Amino acid sequence: MQSNAQLEYDYSIVKAFTFTTILFGIIGMLVGVILAFQLAFPELSNLAGEYGTFGRLRPLHTNGVAFGFTLSGIFATWYYVGQRVLKMSLNESKFLMTVAKLHFALYFITILLAVVTLILGITTSKEYAELEWPLDLLVVVWWVLWGVAMFGMIGMRRERTIYVSIWYFMSSFLAVAMLYLFNNMEVPTALVSGYGSVMHSVSMYAGTNDALVQWWYGHNAVAFVFTTPIIGMIYYFLPKESGQNVFSYKLSVLAFWGLMFVYLWAGGHHLIYSTVPDWMQTMGSVMSVVLILPSWGSAINMLLTMKGEWQQLQTSPLIKFMILASTFYMLSTIEGPIQAIKSVNAIAHFTDWIPGHVHDGVLGWVGFMTMAALFHMAPRIFKREIYSKSLMETQFWIQTVAIVLYFTSMWIAGITQGMMWRAYDEYGSLLYSFIDTVTVLQPYYTIRAVGGLLYLVGFFMFAYNIYKTATSGRVLDKEPVNASPMAS
Amino acid sequence: MDQETLLTIQGYGKFFVILFVFIVFYSYAYSIYKRQRTGERDFEKYSNLVHDDSFDSTPLEKRDNSIDKND
Amino acid sequence: MFHWLEQKPFFFAVVLFLTIAFAGIIEVIPDFAKQSQPTVGTKPYTTLELAGRHVYIKDSCNACHSQLIRPFKSETDRYGMYSLSGEYAYDRPFLWGSKRTGPDLMRVGNYRTTDWHENHMMNPASVVPGTVMPAYPHMFTNIADIETAYAEAYTVKAVFGVPYDAEGMPKLGTLEEAQADAMAQAKLIAADMKNQSVKDAVANGQVPEIVALIAYLNSLK
Repeated sequence: MQSNAQLEYDYSIVKAFTFTTILFGIIGMLVGVILAFQLAFPELSNLAGEYGTFGRLRPLHTNGVAFGFTLSGIFATWYYVGQRVLKMSLNESKFLMTVAKLHFALYFITILLAVVTLILGITTSKEYAELEWPLDLLVVVWWVLWGVAMFGMIGMRRERTIYVSIWYFMSSFLAVAMLYLFNNMEVPTALVSGYGSVMHSVSMYAGTNDALVQWWYGHNAVAFVFTTPIIGMIYYFLPKESGQNVFSYKLSVLAFWGLMFVYLWAGGHHLIYSTVPDWMQTMGSVMSVVLILPSWGSAINMLLTMKGEWQQLQTSPLIKFMILASTFYMLSTIEGPIQAIKSVNAIAHFTDWIPGHVHDGVLGWVGFMTMAALFHMAPRIFKREIYSKSLMETQFWIQTVAIVLYFTSMWIAGITQGMMWRAYDEYGSLLYSFIDTVTVLQPYYTIRAVGGLLYLVGFFMFAYNIYKTATSGRVLDKEPVNASPMAS
Repeated sequence: MDQETLLTIQGYGKFFVILFVFIVFYSYAYSIYKRQRTGERDFEKYSNLVHDDSFDSTPLEKRDNSIDKND
Repeated sequence: MFHWLEQKPFFFAVVLFLTIAFAGIIEVIPDFAKQSQPTVGTKPYTTLELAGRHVYIKDSCNACHSQLIRPFKSETDRYGMYSLSGEYAYDRPFLWGSKRTGPDLMRVGNYRTTDWHENHMMNPASVVPGTVMPAYPHMFTNIADIETAYAEAYTVKAVFGVPYDAEGMPKLGTLEEAQADAMAQAKLIAADMKNQSVKDAVANGQVPEIVALIAYLNSLK
């Protein structure tokens, strides 16, 4: 050991991002629950005038959970895992420390501004890219700062080989940079004409081209925000928490490259039966099915990591979270390709099955894995024991029930509505008017809303548990190696 | 160049590039398993990067340019 | 050769980026030229319609309504002729949507009237019992931003060559001319409406959001 003895990993940035993960998680999920109840009970739609309607709140929900909650979780785990597996500390470089702090500050400001502008209805309307151009520029700045911190940290590393988790974080950085830039190409109208609102811009692409670029972005934003960094997390946290080696490191390397190559091709499945060229729709379909292979490669690798140690699933709620997360990853990566098959897509597209699919992915996979990562980090960054194991256990079961309620109700709702839209009577006229296919969904919307509410309740338990850990958990004198210590 | 030619070029381009990537991918897979079998490089030991990650532990493989060149 | 990939982060990042970027280059770029050709008869939006489109976007109507009719009998029977690529040539951004919580609106101008929209936007349940759509009374009082609509039309004309002011196409002209044209179109719509405060506002030279929105919805054919 040549390094300075008083040097250690710096977790100040990790703590800041942990805080925003919880804060934006609460905001994003709360708005989601409100939206779910509005669909079940439309009287709730106009409680806050124009600022409380479904249309205004929906972008707030999607941006809040994707770019608030999930991205915060990704950044928190990056600054944690990155320092540790590269064996370098942010303390060693004033420059990188400043970059990381600036990264956090600008990120936080941007998301707060996003909340305000979206509520005011300042949006480009492109899904997951709703922010208008001044905010887009801010996003670019802190994304670049993240890249500087990332490559700076890699450049300073002591460990020669870069662990596979870092690969996933790098792919996320590179891909989102490219996708975000191209999809948000827009011309600010006030700058060109000299008239009108400064915030307004117009897309560089028109019609079908705009749709193509948007779904090339939209699909892969899901890939590189909701999938690859989360895989990066599980490749670190599951082996670490369980004390097991990754089942096959070689498989993890191959699954990585497979995923990188195939994922980008699958975006076309959002545009099946639309006006984009046929070959591209078919390509989207086929590649979506091929995508099962690398996805399941990672997921199975994770499950088999627990080989011979399955009793941990019983004893540790943290392992429960991670194993269920990879199970939900398997579920949604088989469900997605099924929906991408043309004949299935004809029924599923535009229905509630799609939000159902998204949510078994994000609630089960992204949500569970992010919370598990935060739980694992808490004793290390706060140097305290986790406040309550039984609370964690209760949270796990409440949220698991919540997810099951959510996706089963949405499956039924989606398929019911899809079938009703295409039902004909014996005289060859449409059997149902549109509103018939809406009113029939009321019970499923109610079940979904209850599911969402339960998940939010579980999230509050999580927030409370982390808060109590940070403030009143038993102080640890030594950093735990594998299993995180928790008070019963 | 008209639309038809463009599409044809696109088709051929796509086919050959996918073929190329396919070959590279499988030769990489083969090289990993060969190197593991011959003992040239033990990939599975990298799992330890996770377990042995405290700040004052010795790196699994130190960064050293002379090793890099021979590897 | 693969050692590089595993241990040289810079080289690794380049290969990784190429792998990721590759699909986009092949998939997206070559079809760009073809897809942006307008079909015969497709015209850019007038200033007022564009202002209405901004209202549509502001309240994220596209979160629940698609504007894309797929080529199935069940869809063409319900919504009309299936969508053609060229029909979207002036749509910036596209508004296909991804979810039909409400019906498709691609050709809503063919079968709904100003009067229907007025009642429906004020209180959807009074027109469609059992609907889950929120009411939009604020659109009757909020004033539409004609100037920004003009700025957008001016920009697409200048930057992307959208044929405003060409023969048989909508006139744009200067801001004052465009505002006057928008007012004239707004008066025609207000004449078909019952809401007194909207009529008063239009008579005073202001365009409430609902008028612009209805102009836009009526233009969807």
